[in-house]
Amino acid sequence: MTDLDSQIRSLAAARRLPDSHLEKWLRLDESSRSAVLETARALKLRTGQIVAALDLLEEISVREGEPVAALLDRPAVRGLANAAGSTPSRAHAFLDELRAMRFPRLRETIDRVEAAIAALRLPHEIKLVLPRELSSDELTIQLTVSDAEGLERLLGMLKEKQSDLERIFSMLGGDDEV
Amino acid sequence: MKFDVDTLTIAEESRGSALASRLVRALGPSVPVNYVSDARDAVRPLPVADPFDAGKRRIVVMKRRTPFLMACPAGSSKFACCGYLVLVLASNCPMDCSYCFLQEHVANNPSFQLYSNFADCFAELERLAASAPGRHFRVGTGELADSLAMDSLTGISSDLIEFVRNREFLTLELKTKTDEIDNLLKIDPRGRVIVSWTLSPDAVWKSSEHRTASPSARIAAARAVLETGYRIGFHFDPMIAYPEAEQDYAGLVDELLSTIPAEGISFLSMGALRMTPGLRNAARRRFPNDPMLLGEEVPGADGRLRAFGALRIRLYRTLQERFERAGAQIPSYLCMESSAVHQRVFGATPSTPATIGERLAIG
Repeated sequence: MTDLDSQIRSLAAARRLPDSHLEKWLRLDESSRSAVLETARALKLRTGQIVAALDLLEEISVREGEPVAALLDRPAVRGLANAAGSTPSRAHAFLDELRAMRFPRLRETIDRVEAAIAALRLPHEIKLVLPRELSSDELTIQLTVSDAEGLERLLGMLKEKQSDLERIFSMLGGDDEV
Repeated sequence: MKFDVDTLTIAEESRGSALASRLVRALGPSVPVNYVSDARDAVRPLPVADPFDAGKRRIVVMKRRTPFLMACPAGSSKFACCGYLVLVLASNCPMDCSYCFLQEHVANNPSFQLYSNFADCFAELERLAASAPGRHFRVGTGELADSLAMDSLTGISSDLIEFVRNREFLTLELKTKTDEIDNLLKIDPRGRVIVSWTLSPDAVWKSSEHRTASPSARIAAARAVLETGYRIGFHFDPMIAYPEAEQDYAGLVDELLSTIPAEGISFLSMGALRMTPGLRNAARRRFPNDPMLLGEEVPGADGRLRAFGALRIRLYRTLQERFERAGAQIPSYLCMESSAVHQRVFGATPSTPATIGERLAIG
């Protein structure tokens, strides 16, 4: 066993990493094994975070045909290890970045639709809820009212925004570039 | 196409059947034949690294104890369905697509089962007709197996075509990813048989559809059977939303329409790649380096993973618009999608499954 592998095993034991994920880690090429270890230490990743990171990195690596070390060396990822802010928040941001790399078009579409919703400047009594992970094209509209007058007012506001809403429905239905 | 067969196991009760005789003769002396009193043990997984793959090379001939005819298992009141009826004449497939649902569906009985009493399905079809006089049905054999992959060994397509070609109420659909059409070219189907091909771009074929005929070979085979009097259809299913998918699927449509006139195509279906979490795990275990299994799929209301809504609807529309731009008005439907998605893609509410099924059957 190499020194690198014994360090990985030692961290895995300390975190009680499942055997399946320790094996996944040890199956990586040497520079990738090392890069994951470095990141896990720098961001003090917890067990669940290491598991999620290994899964995401493995899938991104297959999707993009690049070794894990190269993925972790991308500026957007590498920067998080040395960025300002608390370690837990950087660890959270790291996983967020990996998810964006794994689901790039989903992330871009969510960002675009959320920006379109924010631009509507709706009152807090009207909430537009996107389907979880945009799995469908359905938008849930929640109205919070206490009387018929309030309901009429909110419905009027929605009516005023109809063309903007139609644009959001179109985005959910794949009219935009995704 | 030729597929490897390691063993042929025949249940004693099927020993004298026409199917067993055809297989013994076609496979020749190089494939060992075992006769067993109870075939149930023979269909179970072997204790090897990949029992599903091993099962594909172990043919078991036995009697089917349950009905051959059933409603399509993909059907659900949540989806706009096509009214397809399924004849289960075999289970498993010698080809090996990385996304195939059989990896989960037949995990506990992966041997390639062929049913020696398959001709009993004819009585079931007669009963179906008697139960609904005047109606037309589209019945296919390509759900739990490829309809034609083993046809050079079994010759079952000829028995089926002989039966349906004299029955006005029936349309038989033979669904395949092969170019195994020799037996079909010998019979006039009298308009009662649709041969349909699953079509994918070359990128998906090379990455995921192992041991299948190339998309170009499938299209060429379709042209050949069309010229022999068969109706033909195409299933763009599963559609995989990889980064270059839109242009590749559009290119595939162009290739198809440059070989086959649009008016010669009886129908098209589309369906996004969909996987239960169990299937995804099984597929990833067997094909860890296939990027096509790692699209931007998210869980839907039915628990299956599909490309997120906007992405897959866009892909459906790209394909549909490509056909429309080419002036091809071909009856089309979506598989395992809601009425709302159907409306977005085709601009119309779907008919009932029975109506769609009948329309596709009559042609």
